Amino acid sequence: MIKKLLSFLAVLLFIASILGAGGQQESAAGGEGEVVIEEWEIPFLNSLTGAIASIGEYLQWGAERAAEEINEAGGIAGVPVKVVGVDTALEPQKGVVEMGKIVEYALVALGPVPEPVIMAAAPIAVENEMMTMTATTSLEYAEQFFPWSISWFPKTADRLPPLATEWADMEGVKNVVQFVGIYGPWPGMAAAHVDGLKAAGATHVGDVEVPQDAVTFGPLVVKALDMDPDGIIIACWPDKAAKIVQELKNRGWTDMNKILLFSSADDAALYTTGGSDLDGTIIYNYINVDQTNPRWTAFKDAYAADHNGLQPPSLSTNYYDAVYMIKRAIEETGVTGDPKKLKEERKLIAEAMLDMKSFEGLLFNWDMSGGVPTNKPTYLFEIQDGKKKLVKEIRP
Amino acid sequence: MSLALYYFLSITAIYILMSWGLYLPYRVAHLHFLTVANMLISGYLAGYMVQSLGLPFVVALLAGFVAGGLLGYIVSLFIGDAPTFTVVIVGFTFIYISRTAVENIKAVGATMGMFGLPTIAATPVMHRWTILIILYALVLVVGFLIYRFEHSRLGRAASVVFVDKDLATSMGVDIKRLGRLLQTFSSLVAGGCGVMYGFMYRSFHLDFFTFHLVGIFMTVIFVGGYSTMWGTVIAAPALYGLSLILPPQVASWRIVIYGSILIAVLVLKPEGFITRRFAHRLETTLSRRRKR
Amino acid sequence: MQVFIAQVINGLSLGSIYVLLVTGFNLLLLVAMIIHFAYPQVVVFSMYIAWVVLRYTNNNILLAVLAAIASSVILNVISAPLFQKIMSNREEVDINTTMVLSLGIGMIITDVLSHGFNKGLPIAFPSTLVGETPILRVGLISLLGGQVASLAVGIVAVSGIFLLLYKTRPGRAFRAIAEDPNGARLVGIPLLRTGLESYALSGILGGLIAVLLAMLLGYSSPGLGEQVAHKVLAVSIIAGLGNLAGGLVVGLALGILEALVQGYISGSWSNAIAFVVMLLVMLFKPRGLFGIKL
Repeated sequence: MIKKLLSFLAVLLFIASILGAGGQQESAAGGEGEVVIEEWEIPFLNSLTGAIASIGEYLQWGAERAAEEINEAGGIAGVPVKVVGVDTALEPQKGVVEMGKIVEYALVALGPVPEPVIMAAAPIAVENEMMTMTATTSLEYAEQFFPWSISWFPKTADRLPPLATEWADMEGVKNVVQFVGIYGPWPGMAAAHVDGLKAAGATHVGDVEVPQDAVTFGPLVVKALDMDPDGIIIACWPDKAAKIVQELKNRGWTDMNKILLFSSADDAALYTTGGSDLDGTIIYNYINVDQTNPRWTAFKDAYAADHNGLQPPSLSTNYYDAVYMIKRAIEETGVTGDPKKLKEERKLIAEAMLDMKSFEGLLFNWDMSGGVPTNKPTYLFEIQDGKKKLVKEIRP
Repeated sequence: MSLALYYFLSITAIYILMSWGLYLPYRVAHLHFLTVANMLISGYLAGYMVQSLGLPFVVALLAGFVAGGLLGYIVSLFIGDAPTFTVVIVGFTFIYISRTAVENIKAVGATMGMFGLPTIAATPVMHRWTILIILYALVLVVGFLIYRFEHSRLGRAASVVFVDKDLATSMGVDIKRLGRLLQTFSSLVAGGCGVMYGFMYRSFHLDFFTFHLVGIFMTVIFVGGYSTMWGTVIAAPALYGLSLILPPQVASWRIVIYGSILIAVLVLKPEGFITRRFAHRLETTLSRRRKR
Repeated sequence: MQVFIAQVINGLSLGSIYVLLVTGFNLLLLVAMIIHFAYPQVVVFSMYIAWVVLRYTNNNILLAVLAAIASSVILNVISAPLFQKIMSNREEVDINTTMVLSLGIGMIITDVLSHGFNKGLPIAFPSTLVGETPILRVGLISLLGGQVASLAVGIVAVSGIFLLLYKTRPGRAFRAIAEDPNGARLVGIPLLRTGLESYALSGILGGLIAVLLAMLLGYSSPGLGEQVAHKVLAVSIIAGLGNLAGGLVVGLALGILEALVQGYISGSWSNAIAFVVMLLVMLFKPRGLFGIKL
């Protein structure tokens, strides 16, 4: 039996030896403050395969687009940058191994995506005092890993109520039922909507929980309509949100403006499933696609060219901005990329980001304060022909 | 030790233990998916005990084992000798129930999950070594117990039950008792694995315990070989390691590769790579060499 | 009362999904002794093929139906040798292995759909197939054409397959080669041809089910098959493996139970409660409510 166990250990060591080789940057000796590497390699822990591969794809696209633009303009401190997609396939057991490799050499990392992988892998970044930019999750997740993470979103309880208030006032809804997907931060977001409704003097009549594997939505919609609402908020998966809207229409719902979809439903799956049935519904999110600035126009056109004419989803700009934030942090702090100074340079980068002021994002500028963004706008849109038309901008 | 290596070794140990947890009941033709629910329940229980009640990790780990074993025992009273598919349904049911319960319990983080579990040693490095030592001690202990089981009357009785239940009964095998023993033991092991899994990550999230895990462990058993414990020992690191070393373009088709491997093995080598005959031949060869 | 009736109709609609899938599942069990755990994934694959054809033929429904049937038949016939190889080792290997083999097939199908179609996004079927206007709407009660069609076809399919398998010569031949290939050969049943016919039959049914589901749901996604696979297996076991009539009753009953739980208790508990109820049934009736018919 001992021999069998030894054979097993030999197999383990063989595979482990392959894993043991981590990516190490080539570096040259340089003077003080001078960049010593030939390329800034930024690993991006992303879900490029698996259930959310379609989301991972456009997050990666945004980050790589930023890298391309930066390189065309001369790189970061004169050195080209490369975003390297590291697939975790939505598996925490893969995410931890990849993060384990990344912390051996990287100055800063993008991701992880999504929440289960964040929870498993981000503590590794924290332990190694490396900033990992979780730009697609709520503050309530990101703040668990401060100061080695930053949030792209302000506190849910501050950010969402004004949106719900604005919508309720705009549409004059008085009795609202909410469809809530039981996943991650969504119940918390639903609770924030309720606070907003109260501020508008509307009544939250009840919640209808949407199970993750629901395939028909008749029972849920009948339950909701039985509560006699005049307004509906939908906070669940994009394809299910679309089916709920269709089911509401089938049951006689006509006033589409009185349906509010939340930001996490704003994904390609919503539009491919819902089609023209979504026309007239209101959705909130954090970027205004109809803004006109040269960078954004170029981004939009490039996205459409690569994605069959589709508009960029809201999250597609997050890692684009994250790469630019890294650029600014590197250039302001003068880090060199010297592997011998990895620990101290990681700290410099993190400190630079946590309280970065007047960051020029793709669509708007914002300040960071202790890792939390301030003064970011949110928007209410009306969906028409698969596109979002701005209804109102809401600034804190 | 690099972190990548640490996580590879830790997760491999969990895969081995959990696959053994499925392997044991399958010796009597039971696909005992309750083990995934055991992982979840014991894991969250231990996390709550440490984080909210401030109890030591050792107490929480023991509680995890006990909770797993207890649940496995109680359920086995009803399904110890049940048909295979009843056992499958029981497993699915408990996975659904446990996931739904956790979703609705705020004290364990509900859908957000449980963050920031404390380390179980003074420093992160010592924490990792402790986790690794505990896991491989478990592998050795459980492996030893399974080895002894295989080479005992109980193990031979299980083989007979797998092939022909009626024959086993006529030979005096108490199928219900045997089924109960195997199910209870596998649930006990799974409970401990759940605790270790969460403390390895230092967090718990519902998506750590999905039906996907059932697929992984079944693949390990059937590819490695379901008629001996050694197949799991080879298949677990190989299949997990494969996903880590595939080049990115190929890795995106990882699931297709796993499915194809599973199908190929089932068709070409139905008992898996390590069959009982192979293991016996290896044992005989090694013992002959030892005598020389 | 109106709400209750509406929920029962919703339940029948949901139940008809289970009935259709369980019927196909049971057919494979009866004609080939295969526990095809991934049968829902095969059906979902056919839905995707139908969608592709609809896209490129300007919504030609007939062509889509034929394509769905063809793809389902091809998938079944391709997988037939794999199952047969395993079944031929039946002395050494138990029947659970067919379930594990189908698990592998399901994994492959789901991943291919995630990669190769519509960038892994859900697909929506045109309103001409789905039907935009309910054929009946009274208050909260609403009935779409697709719902009626799928339930009606489900009942007809169960009856038709029952008659075929138990009252016709070809049906008896199918069951004979499934139960005892050697015995069937001895009495002169051509194994290869009859075997292929049986797989093709289940493929035809699978294709039809794909189109009906497209009408009923109006959409599909790579994970749809996995989402219903557990329940399809459970319904088949609760009803009694191979029991066609039992599958019809239990499928509809499960659909109604789920709809009522979602409507009156909680959406998040609907799966757990449904499985608990099924589990309690299993504990008292381990061979299924209506008995195994293999």
